[in-house]
Amino acid sequence: MSDWRRIDIDAFDPESGRLTAQDLIPPYTTVVTLADLQPKISQLRSLSSSGDVNSAINLATTDPPYSADENTKAEYFRAVLDTLKQVRQADITNIVKSLDSKQHDVLIKFLYKGMSIPEGQKQGGILLTWFEKLTQIAGVTPVVHYLSDRNTV
Amino acid sequence: MSQSLRPYLTAVRYSLEAALTLSNFSSQEVERHNRPEVEVPNQSAELLLQPMHISRNEHEQVLIEPSINSIRVSLKVKQADEIEQILVHKFTRFLEQRAESFYILRRVPIQGYSISFLITNKHTESMKTGKLVDFIIEFMEEVDKEISEMKLFLNARARFVAEAYLGEFVY
Amino acid sequence: MLHLKPHNLLIQKTFSEALEAAAAGAPLTLDRIISDFDYTTFHISNSPEDKALLWLSIRTKAWQSIATCDGNKNGLLPFLESKFTSYPSVSIPSSFESGYDYTLQIDLKSLDAATVLQLSLVKTLIFNYPFHLSFSEFIELSKQQPVTDDFSMSSSQSTSKSLYTIRYRDDENIFIKPSNDRITVIFETIFQDETDKVFGKVFLQEFVDARKRNRSIQSAPQVLFSHEPPLELQQHQQGSTNTDKSRRFITFVLFPRHFQTVELQFSTVCQLTLFRNYFHYHIKCSKAYMHSRMRYRVDSFIKVLNRAKLDEDDEETIDEKNQPHQRRTFTGRKMVY
Repeated sequence: MSDWRRIDIDAFDPESGRLTAQDLIPPYTTVVTLADLQPKISQLRSLSSSGDVNSAINLATTDPPYSADENTKAEYFRAVLDTLKQVRQADITNIVKSLDSKQHDVLIKFLYKGMSIPEGQKQGGILLTWFEKLTQIAGVTPVVHYLSDRNTV
Repeated sequence: MSQSLRPYLTAVRYSLEAALTLSNFSSQEVERHNRPEVEVPNQSAELLLQPMHISRNEHEQVLIEPSINSIRVSLKVKQADEIEQILVHKFTRFLEQRAESFYILRRVPIQGYSISFLITNKHTESMKTGKLVDFIIEFMEEVDKEISEMKLFLNARARFVAEAYLGEFVY
Repeated sequence: MLHLKPHNLLIQKTFSEALEAAAAGAPLTLDRIISDFDYTTFHISNSPEDKALLWLSIRTKAWQSIATCDGNKNGLLPFLESKFTSYPSVSIPSSFESGYDYTLQIDLKSLDAATVLQLSLVKTLIFNYPFHLSFSEFIELSKQQPVTDDFSMSSSQSTSKSLYTIRYRDDENIFIKPSNDRITVIFETIFQDETDKVFGKVFLQEFVDARKRNRSIQSAPQVLFSHEPPLELQQHQQGSTNTDKSRRFITFVLFPRHFQTVELQFSTVCQLTLFRNYFHYHIKCSKAYMHSRMRYRVDSFIKVLNRAKLDEDDEETIDEKNQPHQRRTFTGRKMVY
């Protein structure tokens, strides 16, 4: 207890009214588990391997597993990353155009998440291309939405 | 500008523009204090926004941590070998020692990054946000250029010096 | 200034001054301590009896190892004396100044410029001794066993049993090893500073590569660089306790063309003794250059950052747009609330 002056006593007070990152996760009514999500992941993988990347991206950015735990999210993200890698540079603009603004918001979450983990950093160039095309079409709006959205992918 | 650098800088530019919407905000914990919330960890998580990672590859990254009244921008500069490591270290230290004339420079970079900036609402009130973004973008470009130029210079000098020395033995 | 000079400029200057003053009839009273590279100190003072006699004393870290490197033959003092016999104004006093390794007595009355130059070289002359020994040993060895063109016979190379060591700094040494077709000079060096270590690596690597790259210096000595003691040293250093990882070895291989004549020998030795100083000097120069470069870069960054600042004028125009009726005093000054 040598450093007792530095102890943050408010942290021990349940009445302090402080919020932690845990408190900020929105209350979900249902929690998606890996088993629930498995069909969607395999559908995503089969779409992207059959070359129908347009539908694959559309599917990936619709109703993402916000309520799932970290492992499930990571599993889902790997499938999304593989899909993003499949798309040819020339097609990106058209695919982004076909998405609506809600899907743009989801897409940018995937891009930021990708760049924060080592697997995505190796593909930095691809993710940055997506980012560039997305901002060309949707402007700064999805970025601002990303900042304040507590739903994470 | 190289092909992959442009989208990288574009992404940083958009992210900064979105994040630099700061407002004055007094501390919720301490009366009459006004502190950059991003620098006060473990308190008031509701004031911190989602952090943004922008990476060109494993060695070149930017981390933007936004909060209600301040953002912290950390750069990881490319360090390909021992020499670049030393040069980057020397250069960033040199800048940090002059942090008071840079206003927005943080004296110590956060763990894992080469250099950090801390922009508060005080700065965005007295400076143009667009130009601040320009500064950070230009900084990122120039640092890479500077490091590679210094490395080239060192090699060139070493080569010249060695040849001049050995030339003395030739008769 | 690209090259370092083997002579000591301060000694040269001091004696020139003393000479001038003596010629003008007012001999100087001197008591000067001059420092040189590698823990070397010179002391120039008047002889206690006669003002026209000057003493030049030298103390160097390398003295001990150089004096004993010939195996108790005590050849160093006669060697140094022989270097000054042709200069009549220089004599060797019977006892050396206390605290110093070697002393020369100089008579101002017969001093001339050539002598002054020779005096300023005294440190190089001391370092010259082990090189001188190995040059003569080389001649002996090559007579015993002339170099043949048959390279397949590795046994045709005979190396000297002896290894001349100059301990000129705390952890840094020079080793000289003569053999029948070459003389190997090895520098053992250590870098204190982390930056110096990296910079030094770049510089040393360039020394190794320079000869391969530039055809015009093909005939320069071959330079090798290693972290392990070279073979020439290993047989002499068995049981050596110093196994520091940061040691570096730089090997110069001198062929007979580098020391054919006395003049060549001398200039080779001058260059070699200055090797460490030379590349450390250039490491420092590089650092200084980078420092000035970074200064300039900081200025240019600050300029960019200052562009972001709102000027006084800008503020005014913005204010006026928002609230056109800005209150001013009668004299036109802004109202401050």
